[in-house]
Amino acid sequence: MLLGAMLAALTAVLGVGTAPAHAADEGGDLVVVRVGTEGTYPPFTYVDPDDGLTGYDVEVIEAVADRAGWELEFVRAQFDALFPALDSGRVDVLANQVTINPERRARYLFSTPYTFSRGVIVTAADNDDITSLEDLRGRTVAQSETSNWAQVARDAGANVESVEGFAQTAELLVQGRVDATVNDNIAVLDYLASSGTDKIKIAGDAEGEEGRQALVFRRDEAELRDQADRAIAELRADGTLEEISEKYFGADVSVADGGEVDVAGSDADRGSLEVLQDAAWPMLRGALVGTIPLTAVSFVGGLLIALLVALARMSPSRLLRAPARFYVSLIRGTPLLVQLFIVFYGLPQVGVDLPSFAAACLALSLNVGGYAAEIIRASVLSVPTGQVEAAATVGLDGWAAMRRIVLPQAARIAVPPLSNTLLSLVKDTSLAAVVLVTELFREAQVAAALSTEYLPLYCLAALYYWVLCYLITLAQEPLERRLGRYVA
Amino acid sequence: MSALIRAEGLRKSFGDQEVLRDVGFEAEPGTCTVLLGPSGSGKTTVLRSLNALAEPDSGTVRIGDVEVDYGALPRAARERRALLRRLRSRSGMVFQSHNLFPHRTVLGNVIEGPVRAQGVDHDEAVHAARELLAQVGLAGREDAYPSQLSGGQQQRVGIARALALRPEVVLFDEPTSALDPELVGEVLGVVRDLAATGWTMVIVTHEVRFARDVADQVLFLDGGVVAERGGPEVLSDPVTERARQFLRRVLEAG
Repeated sequence: MLLGAMLAALTAVLGVGTAPAHAADEGGDLVVVRVGTEGTYPPFTYVDPDDGLTGYDVEVIEAVADRAGWELEFVRAQFDALFPALDSGRVDVLANQVTINPERRARYLFSTPYTFSRGVIVTAADNDDITSLEDLRGRTVAQSETSNWAQVARDAGANVESVEGFAQTAELLVQGRVDATVNDNIAVLDYLASSGTDKIKIAGDAEGEEGRQALVFRRDEAELRDQADRAIAELRADGTLEEISEKYFGADVSVADGGEVDVAGSDADRGSLEVLQDAAWPMLRGALVGTIPLTAVSFVGGLLIALLVALARMSPSRLLRAPARFYVSLIRGTPLLVQLFIVFYGLPQVGVDLPSFAAACLALSLNVGGYAAEIIRASVLSVPTGQVEAAATVGLDGWAAMRRIVLPQAARIAVPPLSNTLLSLVKDTSLAAVVLVTELFREAQVAAALSTEYLPLYCLAALYYWVLCYLITLAQEPLERRLGRYVA
Repeated sequence: MSALIRAEGLRKSFGDQEVLRDVGFEAEPGTCTVLLGPSGSGKTTVLRSLNALAEPDSGTVRIGDVEVDYGALPRAARERRALLRRLRSRSGMVFQSHNLFPHRTVLGNVIEGPVRAQGVDHDEAVHAARELLAQVGLAGREDAYPSQLSGGQQQRVGIARALALRPEVVLFDEPTSALDPELVGEVLGVVRDLAATGWTMVIVTHEVRFARDVADQVLFLDGGVVAERGGPEVLSDPVTERARQFLRRVLEAG
């Protein structure tokens, strides 16, 4: 099928290689291991303005890799996307303070724990109603949907609101939109120290909820897990783990009772301006390597799909019309986010395994194709039938009449609505963060998680999008003039 | 001399309504046939049957060496299209609302068919197009877009576009009906010249005086049948009452 061939070509252009999970390097012993981590959860995993991706978990797995002879590739994604990424083979291990629990133990392999923590309940500073897990019954709490703490809160009878990370949770608490959250004492202490906020507080212990956090592997990766366990044992024995832990926490969290955690706060003294200055370039880079290429490739791919689908919809053959109509209906009737998840997390289960960027391009192209097909169809239909008849009398019919006479006139009509589609696409690329593409908005989230400067950072992100869209509308005018030069 | 055009037994209905009921005529090479009649009489459908823009339910049309039997068209879509295209290639057409390609210049409109459909060499086609445009009084306007021309000029470009195909027959579908009255003369003048230089033409028109000048043969249609036919004298002294009434009305209006 033509569409299939086009998709194949598209993915080929994007350099799809179904990379082996952890192919042994032919020359040496190095094994490539892909690590899934948030990068927005300080001090465990975050992006330092100077040093890049770092944190306790990041340093631990780097030390493990050093001993085990792995070469690491980090893949950053929000917490809820980490397990799907592991399931679909896009990453081989998670290093993100994943707490061991029975459900996860049934599905995954855990290494020996490298963090011991306890759960605490966090509320707004002026809230004195909640001091224990029992008080959570009937309350609204904010949690990462797939995190262990969400289950703890649910078991305590709370209504769980799904959020993307602790920074967002803290903001919801301050704004009074949720009553509480349950989380790891270390993460909370760090957040309090980093943000310097006095608007939220630790209201009590989540008693009996000691957490043990470990690396997570797929069930068929016992060999990797065993290598990790041997490495962790060595690191524990020679004091490396303790050293890393002391650096971040002033205590040894890698053993069950390593002392009271003292978090200095990784980033307490940076002002808004400094945060913006530090984030400006990573966000621009996100636009240059993420947002803009995603937009360009998806728009071109989408237009090609749209043209074929529009022609199919106007074809006299029912065999072409029916599937084209179905495609348009399906695309316009389902959320783009769902389409992205199907392409990225769903297709690997039937053997179609695209890398992040290609998967995002494919989903966005298919999405644009559905909308643009209707624009192109309407534009073609708006060209008077007299034009087709005149073309026929000079000897042009079928595709020749379409190409020479109808499409050039339809193009003029289609440009304004298609540029709307393009502007929407620019903004829709921010959804690609959920399929592990690092683009403009993801970089803003990363910077915001570390600094908690939401307003300036998200305003800066908005400004970048706005400038991009403004440049596009600037280009639209000369294009319209050129296509409409024959109109008196 | 044998007829260049022969139409026979043309019938067509839309639902219950019969728009053509057994219409036929012949035309010799170099002659001008005028189709007259009230609106809804079927005259435009007859004209469009000659180049298959309309497909009658039955009847045959032959132009030159191409014959199409509309009652027995090939089943296969591809063959059917090829046959209708061959019939269409024998004629050029001038439309009531000119239907020029608005995105192409005057020259581009005239060479589109020769270059893109007939495979004529580009320079040769341009040369021929310039001569034709001069012939219809539009020398110097080659690079204008249709929207920059008056209605009469647009229609003359339409005529040049039809002639550029070097067709055996030129079909005119009410070429002056959409024009302001003061522009009608320049278009009819061009058509008169064509008749004088020996083009074979079939014209649907309401311009009775003009028809009297150029027609070798007149068909008066009414209710889907040829009510009266004959030489140009039919226009001065019709036999049937319906033709008489029609002519009186048209002449009063004009």
